[in-house]
Amino acid sequence: MTTTDRRGGAASAATPSGAARGGARAPAGAGVRVEDLTWRPYGRSRPVLAGLDLTIEPGERVLLAGPSGSGKSTLLRAVAGLLLTADSGDLSGSVTIDGQAPQDRPGSVGLVLQDPGSGVVASTIGRDVAFGLENVELPRGEMPPRVAATLAEVGLTMAADSPPAALSGGESQRLALAGALAMEPSVLLLDEPTAMLDAATAGSVRGLVDVVTRVRGLTLVVVEHRLTGWVDLVDRLVVLDAEGAVLADGPPEAVLHEHAGRLVAEGIWVPGWPEPEPLEIALTPWPSGAAASGLVRPDDVVVAARDVTVEHRTRRLGAESRTTTAVSDVDLDVRAGRVLALVGPSGSGKTSLMGALGGLTAPTSGRVDVASALTPATGPPPPHEWASTDLAKVVAWVPQRSASALLGRTVRDDVLTTPRALGLDAVVSGRRADEVLAALGLDRLGAVDPRHLSGGEQRRLAVAAAILHGPAVLLADEPTVGQDRLTWSAVMGILEASRDEGAALVLTTHDEGAIGRADETLHLSAPPPQPPPETPERRPLVARVGPLALLAVGLSVLPLPALLETWRQGLAVLGVEVLLGLIGLVAPGPGRRPARRVRGVLTRHAPAALAVLGVAWSAWLLGGRDVEVASGAGLRVLCLVVPSAFVVGYLDPERLGDHLAQRLRLPPRPVVAATAALQRVQSFDALWDELMKTRRVRGVRADRGLVARLREAVVVTGGLLIGALGQAATLALAMDARGFAEARRRTWAAEATWRVADTVAIVAGVAVVAAGFAARLLLPA
Amino acid sequence: MTTSQRVRPTEIRASGALPRWRTIDLLTCAFLGVAFGVAYWAWGLAYETPSNLISAGFPPLSALLNWPWLVAGIVGMLVIRRPGAAVFTELLAAVVSALIGTQWGLTTLISGFVQGLGVELGFAAFAYATYRWAPLLLGGFLGGAFEAVYEWYSWYQEWDFGYKVAYLFLFGASVAVFGSLLSVWLTRFLAYVGALNAFPPGQEVRERNAV
Repeated sequence: MTTTDRRGGAASAATPSGAARGGARAPAGAGVRVEDLTWRPYGRSRPVLAGLDLTIEPGERVLLAGPSGSGKSTLLRAVAGLLLTADSGDLSGSVTIDGQAPQDRPGSVGLVLQDPGSGVVASTIGRDVAFGLENVELPRGEMPPRVAATLAEVGLTMAADSPPAALSGGESQRLALAGALAMEPSVLLLDEPTAMLDAATAGSVRGLVDVVTRVRGLTLVVVEHRLTGWVDLVDRLVVLDAEGAVLADGPPEAVLHEHAGRLVAEGIWVPGWPEPEPLEIALTPWPSGAAASGLVRPDDVVVAARDVTVEHRTRRLGAESRTTTAVSDVDLDVRAGRVLALVGPSGSGKTSLMGALGGLTAPTSGRVDVASALTPATGPPPPHEWASTDLAKVVAWVPQRSASALLGRTVRDDVLTTPRALGLDAVVSGRRADEVLAALGLDRLGAVDPRHLSGGEQRRLAVAAAILHGPAVLLADEPTVGQDRLTWSAVMGILEASRDEGAALVLTTHDEGAIGRADETLHLSAPPPQPPPETPERRPLVARVGPLALLAVGLSVLPLPALLETWRQGLAVLGVEVLLGLIGLVAPGPGRRPARRVRGVLTRHAPAALAVLGVAWSAWLLGGRDVEVASGAGLRVLCLVVPSAFVVGYLDPERLGDHLAQRLRLPPRPVVAATAALQRVQSFDALWDELMKTRRVRGVRADRGLVARLREAVVVTGGLLIGALGQAATLALAMDARGFAEARRRTWAAEATWRVADTVAIVAGVAVVAAGFAARLLLPA
Repeated sequence: MTTSQRVRPTEIRASGALPRWRTIDLLTCAFLGVAFGVAYWAWGLAYETPSNLISAGFPPLSALLNWPWLVAGIVGMLVIRRPGAAVFTELLAAVVSALIGTQWGLTTLISGFVQGLGVELGFAAFAYATYRWAPLLLGGFLGGAFEAVYEWYSWYQEWDFGYKVAYLFLFGASVAVFGSLLSVWLTRFLAYVGALNAFPPGQEVRERNAV
């Protein structure tokens, strides 16, 4: 034990594992010195931070507050030495940590981002915590104890091979904290760590931060909008003003005593102040019958759900797809002019239930009925089958990610998108647009591209665009997350204005203020975790093969086109391939019989059928109109793709990365970047889905017409790319905060050994090529 | 395309030594690759029928619907502006679409590699110094031509040489024209909406608006 902890006594008494690690560097806080720091991102006329000076003593705990756009997050990035990681601009002045540059020792400044999931790099929580250790070349043998100790320290008790996606919001935040703590930081920076959590979870995360910083004696800087809770555990409150200058600095009580009124006026949630009131927004009413709101009398049922169950199928690359039940057997009536709050922990199916209520997703079973006054003239199919404009007239949706809800070229165009798609009166909709934008403080931005707005402005815009046409059902997914007092009032104001027009309002939320204003609250609970099956499933032989060998098998067929001349030869080789493939699917040994092996292979073949037909047809047409030639060409293509269909489902990207870097010695940084991105293929699927749903519910989905659909595909691909770039920028910050920037050499937490199964698979691949030679010799043209 | 007389701002090159990739360069290429991979997979499902239709009378015409497969590499290069960007992005897009499951299986990787390589050579021929039309046209053509040669071998052995040559030129030309146009448009779009602030195209937009 070499504890040289400043907070000596209390720390060593309470140390469970913190001081025991390695014993090399005793963890202790470092002093932070910011001198004359100026940062102007290119393209902005004024600097975000101008000549800022700030000194933080070792072990001091600082809460950093200020209105939106005051440069709090920017300052955190500067202290972490990561300002230029994801942006470009003019930077001057200096930041030092105990006299050294922030990233001199990688990981010495830990940074945890607001959305903890955005920094996840690996497919298991243990591997994620080990990421920083890999970057600083810790030998593999030393990783497991460090990882286990850190996971225990942050209170994550599940197995180290659990997937990060299975964690709740609070657990994700703990994982992000563990990733930083594993690198033994001396300064810990937290960017709104509890903004996305419900009150109880936020409290437990705060408690954890309190314990780990105290035990390790860390210097702590926290950025938060909601000061309640934090002021009790910090030594010092620093408030920035809208220009990024220090407005107030001192012990929390003194600062609050002196500046509370001003802080509240800036939108900061100050403890002890009453909850804000929603803005009063008066809207020009639609002529009667023009809008869907008001067609159902107040308190009558607008949407009735009966026995609704929603299941999700998720598929990770290289793994079997899993079906999870998000909502099971819910009965629910949604009534006009009333507010229904759906509450419950993350994973309890709030969003899925909301989607089913509004016809955004089809329920797996059960039925959703919309009041007959609102069903489209084409008949009463369930709402998830309605055409885009029919749905848009009745339902509006504010997705959690408001950036994906932007459809117009200008702010004004954006709010008018749905009224125009529905052919509503231009005068009334124009007047309503002016009223809504003015109430939200967006009126001067009417001609601006909505994608240039700040995150908070985009959220207000999304809410405004949802209500303008007077929908009968308004679905809002966590509309108040991360809002300051001012934007909270604005968002709630619009939602309630829509309710007053007769809309049924359904909110998912964990915001006490919003729940308090609801007429009705439905508590959903997360389904109990499925118990692991008593006997594990047997693994097919092909699943026991390493990724490099699988890749080699898939590519071993490349010589075949040079070998195969006739359909007989093609058929013979195809027979060998299918035989070897089926052997690969055999799953010997004890355990349950694995399901869906052959079906998986057949599904993967489905798209190949058309390709084979196309090639055969072109060969027939250009190769002398001979059926034998055509079938020879078709079989040759089949021979090329059949082995892939057997192996692709068993290729795990993360293992492939491990093997590419360790066995083939490919450069580690590109390999890690690629595997980190591959971990998130699913999120792109989800984003695509969300972009399309947004278009549908806003009335602009291209339901028919090839050109319209192609245009839509290009537009949505653009949205997908914007999302991709955003994720890349955030992940770059999270990875560089854990020492990735200089990790040109690194160690690997997972081994990449070559096994007997790999050699056997290679032999099978060679056998296919040998079959090609044999067929050519034995079945000559 | 604009043919305005305005003086264009000087081209901005990637910061630091060109081969020294920053983390955000690597991740942006990787994420672009993954996003395009998902889009490619969807395009693979959608394009087969129209492709078979337009090529029903004259199969080499199917080349005209193949140019979207090269957009990932071109966009990657236009955004990152470092050696290797086209191969990395295109190869990753191929990996993703293959892992989700395309009609071509893992041989998609070969296509991704040769397509990326062709584009890459176009920019390498200009020493990675310019990102305007000359390298785009050359790289696009080479990418399409490389893929066409690979498909001669793997797909279209039965065709006469004349058809093969027609396929190669149609493929190369459609990538050079349509692929470049879409890539330039996408890059400008991303730069305009502020998604490329850490990259040369984003900085060019900012410079243009800075006056």
